[in-house]
Amino acid sequence: MANGSPIVALKGVSKHFGATKALENVDFACHSGSTHAILGENGAGKSTLIKIMSGVLDPTSGTMEMEGKPVSFSKPSDAVDKGIVCIFQELSLVPDLSVAANISLANPPKRFGLIDHKAQNRIAEELLARINCADVNPNSLIRDLSLSRRQMVEIAKALGKNPKVLILDEATSALTSKDVETVYALLGQLKADGIASLFISHRMHEVEALCDTLSVFRNGTHVETFAKGTKSDADIVRLMIGREVGSHYPAKPNRPRPAPFLKIEQLAWERALKGVNLEVGKGEIVGLGGLDGQGQKELLLSLFGVMRGLQGTVTVDGTRIAPNSPAKAKADGANIALVPEDRKTEGLMLPMSIADNLIAASFNKVSNGPFIDGKKEDAAVRSAVEKLQIKVGDVENAVSTLSGGNQQKVVIAKWLMTDPDIILLNDPTRGIDVGTKQEIYKLMRELAEEGKAILFYTTDYAELIGCCDRVSVMYDGRIVSELEGDAITEEAIVAASLNIGTDGEAA
Amino acid sequence: MNFYKSLDSDTKPIIIALGFVIMILIVGTIYTLSTQGTAPLLRPSYVLQQLQVGSFLGIVAAGMMMVILLGHIDLSVPWTLTAAAMMATTVGGPMAIPTGIAVGLAVGLFNGLGVAYLRVPSMIFTLGVDQVMRGLMVAHTGGYAPDTDATPLMRFLAAEKIAGVPVAIFVWIAVSLVIALILQRTGFGRSVYATGNREAAAYLSGIRTKRVIIGSFMLSGACAGIAGVLLAGYSSQAYQGMGNPYLLPAIAAVVLGGTRILGGRGRYLGTVVGVILIVLLNSVLSIMQMPEAGRQIIYGSVIIGMLLVYGRNQAVTS
Repeated sequence: MANGSPIVALKGVSKHFGATKALENVDFACHSGSTHAILGENGAGKSTLIKIMSGVLDPTSGTMEMEGKPVSFSKPSDAVDKGIVCIFQELSLVPDLSVAANISLANPPKRFGLIDHKAQNRIAEELLARINCADVNPNSLIRDLSLSRRQMVEIAKALGKNPKVLILDEATSALTSKDVETVYALLGQLKADGIASLFISHRMHEVEALCDTLSVFRNGTHVETFAKGTKSDADIVRLMIGREVGSHYPAKPNRPRPAPFLKIEQLAWERALKGVNLEVGKGEIVGLGGLDGQGQKELLLSLFGVMRGLQGTVTVDGTRIAPNSPAKAKADGANIALVPEDRKTEGLMLPMSIADNLIAASFNKVSNGPFIDGKKEDAAVRSAVEKLQIKVGDVENAVSTLSGGNQQKVVIAKWLMTDPDIILLNDPTRGIDVGTKQEIYKLMRELAEEGKAILFYTTDYAELIGCCDRVSVMYDGRIVSELEGDAITEEAIVAASLNIGTDGEAA
Repeated sequence: MNFYKSLDSDTKPIIIALGFVIMILIVGTIYTLSTQGTAPLLRPSYVLQQLQVGSFLGIVAAGMMMVILLGHIDLSVPWTLTAAAMMATTVGGPMAIPTGIAVGLAVGLFNGLGVAYLRVPSMIFTLGVDQVMRGLMVAHTGGYAPDTDATPLMRFLAAEKIAGVPVAIFVWIAVSLVIALILQRTGFGRSVYATGNREAAAYLSGIRTKRVIIGSFMLSGACAGIAGVLLAGYSSQAYQGMGNPYLLPAIAAVVLGGTRILGGRGRYLGTVVGVILIVLLNSVLSIMQMPEAGRQIIYGSVIIGMLLVYGRNQAVTS
């Protein structure tokens, strides 16, 4: 670890979003001339930390110091003025502007009050040359560049702000191997220049290769900071998990693995899915694990008929299906239901009534000919509310008046009304309270017992362990590991998620 | 005030619009009593005559509402209406009315395909279609009013009376019943609301959102076609630009009736009240012998003012 006083230090910083504690009493420091890795599971507070450091979020409590002096940023440009520059995961480039204009976007060089294009291009050329990207024409539009080149322009843009502290949030995930090499070299050069780099990556070998200091975060707290090489991979994984797996899950049945009902073979879609093989039997809950954005969402959506241009085959009960819309996916023959990721924008029509939301997927089940039968509708709505114990005052109230957990129940109830054979769940317990979570676990097991095939993606490893008969871990658009029975442990899931030591045996 | 607060947000605008209708009646009647000593606004025959004129607007607005509920708009109404009228009088005979409606359905289908599949914003696409229809009709007629006449059935539906009540009002009622039934009691109608609220959620619920969009535009076109047929019957013939005065009032009637311009909410009853409000406002302004310029200013100000009142009631959510 570098000596001397830190360039940035956080003292007792907390950040709460309502009842959620994203960061709790965090002390953290980083030093000039070091490359500092921040590790942690999804939701450990890494992103919140860098957002506070770069002025995107205000801490709820606590203070931040730079070079020993307290600072507080009300907006990102304040942080940039002080020398903290962040390269965010989501690209922050304007697609319809030129490379040069993007690099100088916040502070373009001016001549007589107008933008000096010559100077702007010169600045861009210098910065691009510095990161080995002299082949990028400063006049070309961002939209015409590949994702990897865009990310490099993003890095050039950040360097143009003369950072003292450079934060790279998953900045290498979109890069080609050649560009990754360039970034490695750049980080070495920055270190020599005395710049502090904060490096967030899920690729352990990158962290090993680049960083001199590692900090582990877990559940919004800073667990430990240590120098590279003082702990083994296994120790680091244990630090990242370090919590008890709850016992509030329903018991798993003990029986042989059922015959496959839903069978996915070599499913590929653009860059997100690279040949997925997966089987789900009736009565089985199969978990999808892995870090965010490894293709899990795309897998569920492609089964549901949302994606165009799929390759590979999907069979249900021996019959090949290729739905090209959710309407087809839910129809007879496939009978698939999807509880989507974001209930507020994808699962519900928030201003509409609870009743309207409940029947939105099954008009045909409550209608006589083209007309909706009021009695059938009432009966269906009432039985759905009872079955899932949705706490409602009046089913004619807007669904937005319900709590998050009850809203999610409405989404699930909507799909149960269609009587599906296959249920796809995309992180159904995100942001809902513990009590409702347990009800959903219980319901999932009941549905499985009724003979439904359930494919369950969650970012919470404890849920994978507690709920699933089998867990398939995805990494980079493939399933890299399939765990069953007692082999489903946090260590195994985390190791597979980070793709440590499983490269050779990837499926 | 408690009663007012207890109303749901779909009903409030209707109550406000209804209050405004009554206010216009009172102000208009006080004016006529003080200047002429009569109260024509309260005479049934006068009211029925106004409603007869209003029924053309009412039918256009009924179709427009379907499209606005989706968060779209149909600006092709003026020349769809004119084209339907011209083609109906050209064909003549028993096929006149089916031809007019078919023209409306065809234009609506074209609009729907453009908006749903090509994803062109409806404001642009239907504006373009309006121009195309105009060009086609000028080519068809040579730019003059066609010398063909409306059929007797068209005249009967638009200009005759049954038991003192204009037949056009019955046509408006029939169209209204169909639209209200579709919106409230069919899966298609519920899908329109769902799609207008949140297209992604509706699509992921397995609603065929493209068909919903196409169906709504076809209903809008059909309504414009019916209005065109009636209007040709009312004036005994079709003429250039006959649909132009109906576009803005139709949109205004729908929005004044409480339908959200961004789609997803609104009740059909509101559109009916909105139509009555606009017809009444026009007739009171003409009774007052307001010069045309002043009439336009007041007309526009009332629409903006009422929308401001609604805006204050609807908290910005989600």
